[in-house]
Amino acid sequence: MTFDQVIPDFGEYLFGGFVLSLIRVALLIAAGVFIGFLVASLRRGPVEGFYSVAKVIASSVNDLVNWSLRRTIAMASLAVQEAIRRLVLIVFVVFVVILLFAGWYLDTQSENPAKLYLSFVLTASNFLVVLLALFLSAFSLPADIKNRTIYTIVTKPVRAWEIVLGRILGFVTVGTMLLVPMGIVSYFFVQRGLSHDHAVEQVAAVAAGNVTQTGETTFDSHHRHTFKVYDDGTGETDVVKRHWHTVTKVGEGDSATYEFGPSIGLLQARVPVFGGLKFKDRAGADTSEGINVGSEWAYRTYIEGGSLAAAIWTFEGVTPERYPEGFDLEMNLRVFRTHKGDMEKGVLGSIVLRNPNASAKIRRSEAITFTAKEYVSDKQTIRNNIRVVDQEDGSIRDGQLFDLVDDEGRLEVWIQCGERSQYYGMAEKDVYILDRDAPFIANLAKGYAGIWLQMVMVTSFGVMFSTFLSGAVAMMATLSSFVVGYFSTFIFEVATGAKEGGGPLESLFRIVTQQNVQVDLEIGKTPTSIIQGVDLVAMMSMRVMTGMLPDYANFMGTTEYVANGYNIDGTLMSIQLLTAFCYVLVVSLVAYYLLKTREIAA
Amino acid sequence: MADQVAEAIPSLADDKPQAESNVVIETRNLSKVYRDFWGRQKVRALKALDLEVRKGEIFGLLGPNGSGKSTTIKLLLGLLFPTSGQALVFGKDASDVGKNERIGYLPEESYLYKFLNAVETLDFYGRLFDMPADVRRDRVNELITLVGLDWAKRRQLKEYSKGMTRRIGLAQALINDPELVLLDEPTSGLDPIGTREMKDMILRLRDEGKTVVMCSHLLADVQDVCDRIAILHQGELKELGRVDSLITVKDMTQVRAEGLTKEAEEEIRAVIAKHGGKLVAMENPTTTLEELFLKIVRDSEAKPGRRSTQKD
Ligand SMILES: Nc1ncnc2c1ncn2[C@@H]1O[C@H](COP(=O)(O)OP(=O)(O)OP(=O)(O)O)[C@@H](O)[C@H]1O
Ligand SMILES: [Mg+2]
Repeated sequence: MTFDQVIPDFGEYLFGGFVLSLIRVALLIAAGVFIGFLVASLRRGPVEGFYSVAKVIASSVNDLVNWSLRRTIAMASLAVQEAIRRLVLIVFVVFVVILLFAGWYLDTQSENPAKLYLSFVLTASNFLVVLLALFLSAFSLPADIKNRTIYTIVTKPVRAWEIVLGRILGFVTVGTMLLVPMGIVSYFFVQRGLSHDHAVEQVAAVAAGNVTQTGETTFDSHHRHTFKVYDDGTGETDVVKRHWHTVTKVGEGDSATYEFGPSIGLLQARVPVFGGLKFKDRAGADTSEGINVGSEWAYRTYIEGGSLAAAIWTFEGVTPERYPEGFDLEMNLRVFRTHKGDMEKGVLGSIVLRNPNASAKIRRSEAITFTAKEYVSDKQTIRNNIRVVDQEDGSIRDGQLFDLVDDEGRLEVWIQCGERSQYYGMAEKDVYILDRDAPFIANLAKGYAGIWLQMVMVTSFGVMFSTFLSGAVAMMATLSSFVVGYFSTFIFEVATGAKEGGGPLESLFRIVTQQNVQVDLEIGKTPTSIIQGVDLVAMMSMRVMTGMLPDYANFMGTTEYVANGYNIDGTLMSIQLLTAFCYVLVVSLVAYYLLKTREIAA
Repeated sequence: MADQVAEAIPSLADDKPQAESNVVIETRNLSKVYRDFWGRQKVRALKALDLEVRKGEIFGLLGPNGSGKSTTIKLLLGLLFPTSGQALVFGKDASDVGKNERIGYLPEESYLYKFLNAVETLDFYGRLFDMPADVRRDRVNELITLVGLDWAKRRQLKEYSKGMTRRIGLAQALINDPELVLLDEPTSGLDPIGTREMKDMILRLRDEGKTVVMCSHLLADVQDVCDRIAILHQGELKELGRVDSLITVKDMTQVRAEGLTKEAEEEIRAVIAKHGGKLVAMENPTTTLEELFLKIVRDSEAKPGRRSTQKD
């Protein structure tokens, strides 16, 4: 997994994205008021139109003043009761059945079974809960309107706001009541699915240092380990498929037996600590980015092998308190070859740790060599005791990692590609230090929180659409909003022209006439400009649409962190929470006005 | 303001015997056109209705099926928006939610949540009036006893018979002790005893100073309880007035006497004979409301558009 997702700084988000979206919301409201005015004045003339819009605004202030928690809760608990009577239990049963079947089919032969299991349960939970939210929210209000139970509600002092909020709260409660047991069941499902035992296949006595025995385990769950036992009777296996076991020797001599503990390291939440990235070009001069190879998205740039080009990460807060025994450095480098070489072997490179302080006594470590393979994550363990280069005589001697850290706790990591005409591709988030692991269960809970946020947003969209559409249509509309939101990055790229081949109409034309996406259209000037004009309008509306819908893929992306064993960043969580909150607020506001201005009995 | 003016100019106050605050419902030129999805006109359900309902009276809306009674009530509740004209309740626009604090509404059919039982239903509606739990509990028990459903209060509404649903519907309409009660066919589905009880209840509400607007097809019932009625036909107001004066036949006198001597009888006969008349009986007879209703509907079908008014 790579961290392609750009996580902005929270402050940056708050004062950039968030304030910007508040402005957008304000504009949207203003547009809504204006459209309301237009419609009203078309029907009754501008004066009456103005009057009726003013009246709606005044009465919504009144509604807000008279907001009652008791009424909202009454509406919410009614929604809960209604939902429970409908399909909630069935959904849970479906979930459990899916898990039972999946238990047979999930392939534990995989190199990373934890990822397989986790992404399976998370995806299943995600889609089931979103589907449930979709059905519950879209059909509830239309049913009430259709069988007219709404008459006895709206003739009470219930504000439209309370109906909308009550529905959302109710269905969110139901969804939560479903999601929590789903999460718990998932956890135990994954636990059970991954747990396995080993026994001793063969063991032999050795005498190498404090190791007294080495051996091999039985072949279970599609793998086996080798293990060693120390003179104190404890021991450990090697790491296979991302986990290992403890070994305990019981008894002495020939009657000794060996017991293996549960797997360790399968369910983890690694915490990456990112640094800032800058480059040196092939002549060794400073530059802000590497070079581009081909038309790839400029997120990743490249450094040339066998030259002075280097990628330099500066990590902050590297202190002995935080990393008492050194740290692991994880790298997800891309490899770009201009000649084939030995594909299996990977491309040679080097890591040098450097002190950012130019006047420090010890400036750099000895180069640590490694080979990078495309799409393979590589881990380098940097211990406290490392070999450093003495600044005075250039001799290499034993030193301490923290000799290379400056007074502010900064450390530079230089990566260079060692092979001529080969390139390394990298982005800021491709190399990071691993901090101490976060608790896995908390991380799983965060993953489920991401699903929860999606459910809340889908619910509010469903309620919003159901204020003016009939049940089935409201559901289709909500589903579309989900799908478009999910693919919004792609649609946005089409809409902004970042994808080649032009807008929807132009692409269609190219497909039908089989024209290459990179050349200009082979038709006259006028038809081209007509096609592009239509596309411009279509693309503008697509842009507006994707700008208005939540990027659900982004939310699902966070559950991928859990599956890949990375901790979900607190900043990311806060940003998503705030984003979801904004959406719910705006969507319920729209729903409120739609319901308020709707003629219930028509 | 208006009161002050009225006080300052007594003659003006005399012209308007009912002070402004006494008017609970007022409609001005109220019209409703139902439109379809495309905005095309489907039905003109109500045409320029002018009505005033005063505090403390029982007002009946009569009319054949589809004449616009329910439409009028829905307009008054803000369930429908007028196509033109205005509906005012307690002096406020009908779309104002705040007025609902003082209103009780029994719909044509009791549209309630079938999965709740009687107690839960009333408790739910009590919460919508923001009533605290203890007040709610007392009120719910009181109302269930009032509508005679004590024996079935823990049963889900889906198991209720039509009359039982009607009763719980009424209880629901009274949960907030409303000042104005709108009842759409309150006696439909009720047994004779239930009907009697409903009528007594309506009269009791009036005695408590509440205003009741009801529509019904059971003219005998309307005649029993209503102070004033309006008769609608095809969305038009055909008749409006006090029930007692409406059913009085004014161009006929009926005399009946007891304990008169033969001479006195002769004398009266002579007087009638002298005026060229022939004595039948001596009083104003009353017709039934049913007769009046049928006559108005027939007249109006014969001469559509004409308003046969006879203000009180
Ligand atoms: N939602 C609606 N859409 C279209 N037309 C409607 C709607 N509701 C009522 N109408 C029409 O409006 C007219 C008046 O209906 P309304 O329900 O007010 O009659 P009513 O006097 O209550 O009749 P009833 O005695 O049968 O209850 C009828 O012609 C009816 O078909
Ligand atoms: Mg009706």
